[in-house]
Amino acid sequence: MLEIKNLHAKIEDREILKGLDLTVPAGEVHAIMGPNGSGKSTLAYVLAGKDDYEVTDGSITWKGQDLLEMDPSERAVAGVFLAFQYPMEIPGVATMTFLRSATNAVRKARGQEELSTPDFLRLVKEKAKDLKIDIEMLRRPLNVGFSGGEKKRNEILQMALLEPGLGVLDETDSGLDIDALRVVADGVNALRSKERSMLVITHYQRLLNYIVPDKVHVMSDGRIARSGGPELAIELEKSGYAEFGGEATAA
Amino acid sequence: MDLSVQQFRSKAEQELLDLYAKAESALPGAANPFVAELRKNAIKTYAGLGLPHRRVEAWKYTDLRARMEEIPPLIAALGASVGEPELEAALGKRVAAFPAYRLVVVEGELRVDLSDMTGLREAGVEVGSLALMLEMPPAWLKETLGQVNPREDDAVLALNTALMTGGVALRLPEGLTLQKPIHTVHLDGTGDPASTFTRNVIVAEEGASATVLESYGTLGMQGLQRNAVTELKLGDKSTIRHIKLQCEAIETIHLNVWTASIAADARYNAFQASFGAALARNQLYVGFDGEGSATDVSGATMIRGKQHCDTTLVVEHRVPACVSRELFKLVLDDEARGIFQGKVIVLPDAQKTDGKQMAQALLLSETAEFDSKPELEIFADDVVCGHGATSGQIDEDLLFYLESRGLPAPQARALLIQAFVGEAFEVVEDEGLREGFAAASAEWLGVAAE
Repeated sequence: MLEIKNLHAKIEDREILKGLDLTVPAGEVHAIMGPNGSGKSTLAYVLAGKDDYEVTDGSITWKGQDLLEMDPSERAVAGVFLAFQYPMEIPGVATMTFLRSATNAVRKARGQEELSTPDFLRLVKEKAKDLKIDIEMLRRPLNVGFSGGEKKRNEILQMALLEPGLGVLDETDSGLDIDALRVVADGVNALRSKERSMLVITHYQRLLNYIVPDKVHVMSDGRIARSGGPELAIELEKSGYAEFGGEATAA
Repeated sequence: MDLSVQQFRSKAEQELLDLYAKAESALPGAANPFVAELRKNAIKTYAGLGLPHRRVEAWKYTDLRARMEEIPPLIAALGASVGEPELEAALGKRVAAFPAYRLVVVEGELRVDLSDMTGLREAGVEVGSLALMLEMPPAWLKETLGQVNPREDDAVLALNTALMTGGVALRLPEGLTLQKPIHTVHLDGTGDPASTFTRNVIVAEEGASATVLESYGTLGMQGLQRNAVTELKLGDKSTIRHIKLQCEAIETIHLNVWTASIAADARYNAFQASFGAALARNQLYVGFDGEGSATDVSGATMIRGKQHCDTTLVVEHRVPACVSRELFKLVLDDEARGIFQGKVIVLPDAQKTDGKQMAQALLLSETAEFDSKPELEIFADDVVCGHGATSGQIDEDLLFYLESRGLPAPQARALLIQAFVGEAFEVVEDEGLREGFAAASAEWLGVAAE
């Protein structure tokens, strides 16, 4: 279970999160919606531990552990995974090498056996197939020259390999056409389980047609302004974010 | 000898002259008029120049006169005991075990007991100790020695010619493609500080092709001063892949010159990896003498502490339609200082020249320093030439991305650094050697090799 209490965070001198409370029970998928600038991506980065953001007050507890005391790699080991809105391109690092290094680093830290190269290859091939990822793509440098859809599928592949307890999907739908969106959503849905919680951050309701959340929260000005069931997303699609300080029409 | 050019001599400058005077009659080839004349002229050139210092433009960042305080005696061949464990310790496991014809120079002397030339002569290659060949130099050596891109302004080169005592001479006959690489190993000794002047000469005749690896490592001598020169003459349609690994002891002064002249339709691929030495100066002089040729000169430097590594490169396009590419990557930590000076000269005849140069440094500390001086001297009007230099720190966003996938910060940093230098290793065609360099960079970073 993820428990966020009274979270305040700032970047440089600008306060972005202003007392955010959120609880995501094990096995539930919660969507975070909200207008641009409401603090959705900041929440994602703060959960993953990016040190550009300073947490000035409040707490984040994950499975009883104080997440704020951990550095980013420790959080990954503890089971927090952030699917980036803009995955990084790293020339000179082969995607496959990166995937194996990350998988084995996490396995080792969790006390699991590291995978041999053949075992890892078998695993990655199986997971890649589900996400319609061509294995040749994984021989290229990490995310370099990948299309938007390839990058997002690569993020979900990493989530599948690292087997997190909490998946945070930051605008995973941005830049995807409908076919790519479906593949990514199928990949995410395949990872839903009783033990795994997910936080799906999105500006648009469209993604939530494919990844149906248990709960929907609307963020506004650094706080959760409203919470409800999946129907809330549909309501927002019609009314837009006007009442939450955003533009009158959602796209 | 006209000594009026230089009014004042530093202690070391004088000691180098004394070193020569004392050794002259016993140097290899002393009885051979051609060699004796070559040495005499060279020491005269040196006497006129003295050791280069910061007011000499090409040595602006490396004040050799200030850094060489005294000159230890010439290295003596004491028959240092060297086995595979010593080679592994000196060069790393992969490079020591690199499958190649192997010529091992220890204490300035070619050691037959450590070398493996089985099949090299049978393949048609003329090969031997330069010291021996200097006693009665064959015609091809006489036509090459001291004559590849000759320079009157280089004291390091002049000193080497005056004092050369060891090294390897190699002639690849017309049309020979050597499948197995040649590895020349250069080790110091275990005794007191010493000076060594080694010289390799490589002549590739028309259509010949080979890979030559030069490695420089230590057996434990503290305070070696090495002056190592390789002269290469590439004939028409020949190909030489020339690779260097320098991991000398941390107190070493490593002075190195590679000078190559390239005939028509030939390829010269050079790569240098520098990890060791307190002060390293790598000079490369590459000249195009025939049309339609290409060179790729690249390197990677990884240094820390107070290490200083200077790569100075001159590529001279003398004839039309040649291509030159340079890519140098430097990783600098602590107070290390990396220098790249790259000069591309395009002479009036050298139309259709295509020359590109890039030097990139990754600074791992606030106190590391990178100095870059690209120079283009273009006298032809139909050319494509460019250069670039960057220096920066590790990208924090990339680091966060890797850490967020569970890689602990030191491992994530190492991965990014390896990716940075790895781009330069790509120039090395031999996969085993590329892996050897990747392993050396991993060792430098203190992480396990992939």
